[in-house]
Amino acid sequence: MKRKVLSILLCAAMVVTMAVGCGKKDTSSSEKKETKTETKTKDEVLPGGGSKIIYVITPSTSNTFFETEAKICTAEAKKLGYTVKAMSHDDDATKQMQQFESAIDDKAAAIICDNAGADATIEAVKAARKAGIPTFLIDREINEEGVAISQIVANNYQGAKGVAEVFVKAMGEKGNYVELLGKESDTNAGVRSSAFHEVIDQYKNMKMVAQQAANWEQTEAYDKMGTILQSHPNIDGVICGNDTMLCGAVAALEDAGLAGIPVIGVDGSDDARDLILQGKATATALQQAAEISRMAVKQADDYLKNGKTGLDEKQLVDCIVITKDNASKLKAFDLSK
Amino acid sequence: MLKKQKNMNWVMTLLKGRTFLILAVLVVFFSFASPNFFTINTGLTVAKHVALYGIMGIGMTFVIITGGIDLSVGAVAGFAGMIAGGLINEGLKIGFLGITIYFSVPWVILISALCGVLIGWLNGIIITKFRVAPFIATLGTMNVARGLANLRSNGATFSNIVGKKPLGNTGFDILGQSFLGIPAGVIILIIIAIIAAILLKSTSFGWHIFAIGGNEKAAKLSGVKVAKDTTIVYMFSGLCSAIVGMIAAAQLVASHPATGEGWEMNAISAAVLGGTSMAGGIGSVGGTIIGAFIIGVINDGMTMCGVSEFWQKVIKGIVVIAAVVVDQFQRNLQAKIALQARNAQ
Repeated sequence: MKRKVLSILLCAAMVVTMAVGCGKKDTSSSEKKETKTETKTKDEVLPGGGSKIIYVITPSTSNTFFETEAKICTAEAKKLGYTVKAMSHDDDATKQMQQFESAIDDKAAAIICDNAGADATIEAVKAARKAGIPTFLIDREINEEGVAISQIVANNYQGAKGVAEVFVKAMGEKGNYVELLGKESDTNAGVRSSAFHEVIDQYKNMKMVAQQAANWEQTEAYDKMGTILQSHPNIDGVICGNDTMLCGAVAALEDAGLAGIPVIGVDGSDDARDLILQGKATATALQQAAEISRMAVKQADDYLKNGKTGLDEKQLVDCIVITKDNASKLKAFDLSK
Repeated sequence: MLKKQKNMNWVMTLLKGRTFLILAVLVVFFSFASPNFFTINTGLTVAKHVALYGIMGIGMTFVIITGGIDLSVGAVAGFAGMIAGGLINEGLKIGFLGITIYFSVPWVILISALCGVLIGWLNGIIITKFRVAPFIATLGTMNVARGLANLRSNGATFSNIVGKKPLGNTGFDILGQSFLGIPAGVIILIIIAIIAAILLKSTSFGWHIFAIGGNEKAAKLSGVKVAKDTTIVYMFSGLCSAIVGMIAAAQLVASHPATGEGWEMNAISAAVLGGTSMAGGIGSVGGTIIGAFIIGVINDGMTMCGVSEFWQKVIKGIVVIAAVVVDQFQRNLQAKIALQARNAQ
């Protein structure tokens, strides 16, 4: 036992010497330095790293949404004469940081990124800024302004309101409905839900009989919907926080012989499109991943050429309501004209 | 006969230096493939990334030498990062006294490191006292640590973990900064590597863990305190992982509960590429560091070449398998040479 304690102390001592060894440098001076460089770079035009390479960093492209982003960014940037290096951070903020550092070493002209975390990404974007490389964020924001050049995201609130209006109309302004929520820790889940209710709650005859979190997941939505249908077999409609849950809910409704009642989602995935065309779902709000990507590339190009984008840093891109009428034009998060 | 033996010796040297050879070939390859790869800046960046796998890999090497495995390393890194971030941003709340204590950075580092050591100790106890296979035991603690990391903040991120002047807890982010151009992580890697190498080569503790991995029963019979030494090894691995978690958090200036997901694979790969035998009893710190560099060079090199993530995974997998296959080949050859030498006599 004594030895065990001793060994723990030894390990501890090791850590402390390490901490002290590294901590010798005066922290206040390094802090001052940091604020200085920050104020210096705030309004400075970032020239890019020197090459004509654009780094496109997205979450895993095994998801069609991000695949679309990577594909469109790559194609558009190539059209403008850039070399593109596209990669995925797999939602690992450390991996993303490493990719930013590689981009800096590679003298990238610009970085376009759908980031791995609103807080955990700030430092990476700052590092790029310090190296004179402008970052353009798409789809997801970060919790700090003045670091990235653009933050282009879909207007979830407007999109959810839009589909909610279609839902109310399809329900004939009355009836019992169920809501499937996204992951509670995700702000988008709350934004979408409150937008739904802002519209639906205006109608007195619309009654929510159940509300459950299915965490954005298809299987979970299927299971939860099945359970809800046990206690509420006579529902008239379902609202879902995203299209993945919509697919799960529709499958459960089909099992219960309720296919065809109004169901809405948000995202604009191809799976939801197919269900809408088959008449099993009513509407979804398309987050224009393709359009957002095109905007990012264009703004990166403008910025590198003219030193400004001429637009605000935070930009909201409206969602498009997808119903039977325009669903056939939707493909891979892009609506053909 | 003699000539053949000489040939075989030549092959052996080549085989023994193979990790270094692979590394050299990779560096040359990527230098040609990407014009900005062979620069001092890129070298430092790669080293900074390697520090994470390397430190974790050293702990893993100790564990694998004893014949075990530690799958909890990535989760422990995430957990320690969350503890550190939480202590800096929120302090330690003592409910019944209604006060919040803020620790200075050395204490934050110490407490977070001890959390890692504690999980390592738990691993050791489960494995040695309850006789649970290391794979299962650490699989369990992996989930426990990951769950705890998420529970600490309910899945949220601790942002901007630089501390506040009035609270006297500034300076944690220096773990993610550079000194005279050398990243703090690399300095820590060097310190840990030296300590670990001495432990492994020049102390009785080192000999004991080789003995445990070589033949546990024989080690026990010859007086090695198998349970105690094994537990210490897992505690060391936990410590290394906790340090990695803190460095990663400092680099991002944020603690994210998902940090370290899948990193156990990098640590295991680094150890195996460095010639550590999964059967136990064989391994070295230097080898693991070269192994970590191979992974780092592949990661960053392929990133700078714009290779898709799917291909990166395939290539990394193949490299690790190839390393083990060559390892087996070397061992067979070694046995053959020994046999021939005996026959020649």
